[in-house]
Amino acid sequence: MADEPLTRADVPAQLGPLPGGHHGLSREQILESQRERLLAAMAREVAVHGYRATTITGLVKVAAVSTRDFYEHFESKEECFLAAFEAIRDYVEGLVVEAAVEQPDWAREVIAAVRAALAFFAAEPDIARLCLVEPVSATPRIAVRFREAVLACIPALSRGRGEMEDGDLLPSSTEDSLIGGIVSLVTRSIAADETETLPALLPDLVDFILTPYLGTETAARIAAQAAAG
Amino acid sequence: MKRAHVSYKTFYKHFSNKEECFIALFDRALARTEERVREEVEASPRPWAEQVAVALRTVFEMIVEGRLVARAVVVEAPTVGPAMRERYEAAIEALVPLFAAGRELNPRGHELPATIEHTLAGSVFWSAYQRLVVGEVERLPEILPEVTELVLRTYLGQEEARRIARDQSARQPAAA
Repeated sequence: MADEPLTRADVPAQLGPLPGGHHGLSREQILESQRERLLAAMAREVAVHGYRATTITGLVKVAAVSTRDFYEHFESKEECFLAAFEAIRDYVEGLVVEAAVEQPDWAREVIAAVRAALAFFAAEPDIARLCLVEPVSATPRIAVRFREAVLACIPALSRGRGEMEDGDLLPSSTEDSLIGGIVSLVTRSIAADETETLPALLPDLVDFILTPYLGTETAARIAAQAAAG
Repeated sequence: MKRAHVSYKTFYKHFSNKEECFIALFDRALARTEERVREEVEASPRPWAEQVAVALRTVFEMIVEGRLVARAVVVEAPTVGPAMRERYEAAIEALVPLFAAGRELNPRGHELPATIEHTLAGSVFWSAYQRLVVGEVERLPEILPEVTELVLRTYLGQEEARRIARDQSARQPAAA
């Protein structure tokens, strides 16, 4: 249920480890545990109510902390949201880097990275919503932070220019446009509560991403392989 | 509310009106844009690629012209919430049929991903939206050729797309 206090099992691992029990915990450990419960509460509350209707009162109830505890960790609802966003961003980055590192070439890295990200968001719909759907309509500051996180993917994409002749002749906004398309397609599924369909987007996304760098035929061929693999 | 001596009833009446007012304002801007795009595209018979270029140029021009409303979209989105996403999806859907017509020009058009029109339209609005977020709406005309090229390239291939996009920007007077 949406507004019941979180149990240990509810806190996604991506938001930090939850130490067992309260006996013999140091103050630092207690604070860390509270912080993680608040971040998990933010994901839960925002998924149910949206950012705007989420309140600190609601958050502390779900996180089973006091309002005073909240303000020890965060100055505002916005700060709490940003902390959750950054924690997830770091986690997904780790996932994606790990998936990509074993791949033999750039195109396979792209496939592995996209596959890992889609699998994660499909498994964690609340987190997917917090990360990808809510930011653009939360606050202007959050929208800008979202933009920065997404633009940080550009270097990984622009390595595709090294895979083609005259890669420098591709328009400079190519990567930004690619990201825009990807975000648009992915958020559509999340916003429609169809996160289970995310992994099925893999071939289309791979085709879209690889096409400017490798050409339509090669991109389509690799995308078909990705679908089968 | 206590200080303003306003009752709950009155407050929520005005609050809800503000949201509705904003949505109405934005919907009107969207409808006017759609109408303008249709006018421009149908003004004279054109090849598909030119229709796309004209449509995108018109959309960007309307955003620049209506920059106050456009900027308000970014600032007021928290007030409006989910309704904004619906409008965003509607704007994307409005471009999809125009883009999809490009499949007929490509012998392998039927092999393109089913979602490609949505992805491309999403990418167009993302580019515009991001300029709004960072307060650089005046830069929209600059990015138009590249945005157009991305769409056309999908259906016509790199060379043809680049040629047409350049043609289009050469025809237009430079942004003031």
